[in-house]
Amino acid sequence: MERSFVFKFLGLKFDLTGIIGSTLMAAVVLFVCIWLSRKVEMKPNKKQNVLEYLIDFTDGIVKDNVSDPDARRHLSLYAFVLFIYIWFMNQLGLFLEVKVGDTMIVKSPTADPVTTMSFAMMTLLLSFTFGMQKFGTGGYWRNYAEPVSFLFPINMIEEITNFLTLSLRLYGNIYAGEVLLTLIGNSFAPSFGVTTLVLAAPLAMIWQGFSVFIGSIQAYVFVTLSMVYVGKKVTKE
Amino acid sequence: MTFQILFAASAGHIYLGNTIWYLIVFAILLILVKHYAWGPVSDMMEKRRQKVINDLDSAADNRKKAEVLANEREAALKNSRQEATQILTDAKANAEKTSTQIVAEANNNAASIHEKAKADAAQAKADALDEARAQVADISVTIAEKVIAKNLSADDQKDLVDQFIKGLNK
Repeated sequence: MERSFVFKFLGLKFDLTGIIGSTLMAAVVLFVCIWLSRKVEMKPNKKQNVLEYLIDFTDGIVKDNVSDPDARRHLSLYAFVLFIYIWFMNQLGLFLEVKVGDTMIVKSPTADPVTTMSFAMMTLLLSFTFGMQKFGTGGYWRNYAEPVSFLFPINMIEEITNFLTLSLRLYGNIYAGEVLLTLIGNSFAPSFGVTTLVLAAPLAMIWQGFSVFIGSIQAYVFVTLSMVYVGKKVTKE
Repeated sequence: MTFQILFAASAGHIYLGNTIWYLIVFAILLILVKHYAWGPVSDMMEKRRQKVINDLDSAADNRKKAEVLANEREAALKNSRQEATQILTDAKANAEKTSTQIVAEANNNAASIHEKAKADAAQAKADALDEARAQVADISVTIAEKVIAKNLSADDQKDLVDQFIKGLNK
């Protein structure tokens, strides 16, 4: 497997690939959002329409899964930014993969389980917060023993499985996409000279297109499941 | 354990630093996007929603008003039609009345003229008789003078006069 550049700072390990990718994509998301919302008018222009469509889309995800109106209001922005950010991070590795020697410098940050686990953890912490705000700490813990008390351990385990499935699903999809793209480009293309080189180009193109689709679907799924988990925490079953 | 293999597959390290970095970057991104893009756009969407609601309400109001106006106009039209019919009926009745009056007056006039003519005729007849009587008297005197000249008795004279008058009355 490829190596990445890891450095230590304040006793914590930092992986440069993830930091470069995520920061780059955050900048892109910010730039795109600001570019789309330069002129905000009552009669929307084209760019504003795009942004409004996106907001409507993520708002729809929130509305479908969270019934509590107060939480819904707070989650709207979170869902919007999360969706766009993850979408851009998913696509990054498809067109930009920078390797210096044997060390990976730029690839999709979401093809790294630490990234996806970070975001999954963020979502779960958010869901705990919303649950505790809604029911109080005691009420929140009592909800784990609903509908019957012996389900408490199972409900606790469910939190861990939620965390794992949410993060590893995204990681697996994007990572597999990149692995296959790397295989086509690095192993298949030069394997039999010109013949495979010519064959590899459309194959890589098809797989890239499919990966864009997968990346969009996974961003959507990630946001939807995040909202489902938060929604479950703020509704009494 | 799957867990460790997955981590190892990536880089062979658990780098918690990245998690913190992601959280910070995401938080900053959240704030900036809210301030520059999401906030203004959702505000505008909400404003537009309110405007659409207002427009719909005012449109419904206007429609209601127009309906009331149309009803009023229709009622007025119906009233005026009724009035026109009334006026027409009145005029017809008046005309009939007047015509009846005129005819009656004419009849009266004709009758009175007829009466007068009758009276005049009677008068004329009486006058003519009177005149005739006076003339008879004159004639009788003349006859008498003639008879006297013939020397008739008084009875003869009387007979003559009577016969004469009878002859006149015939």
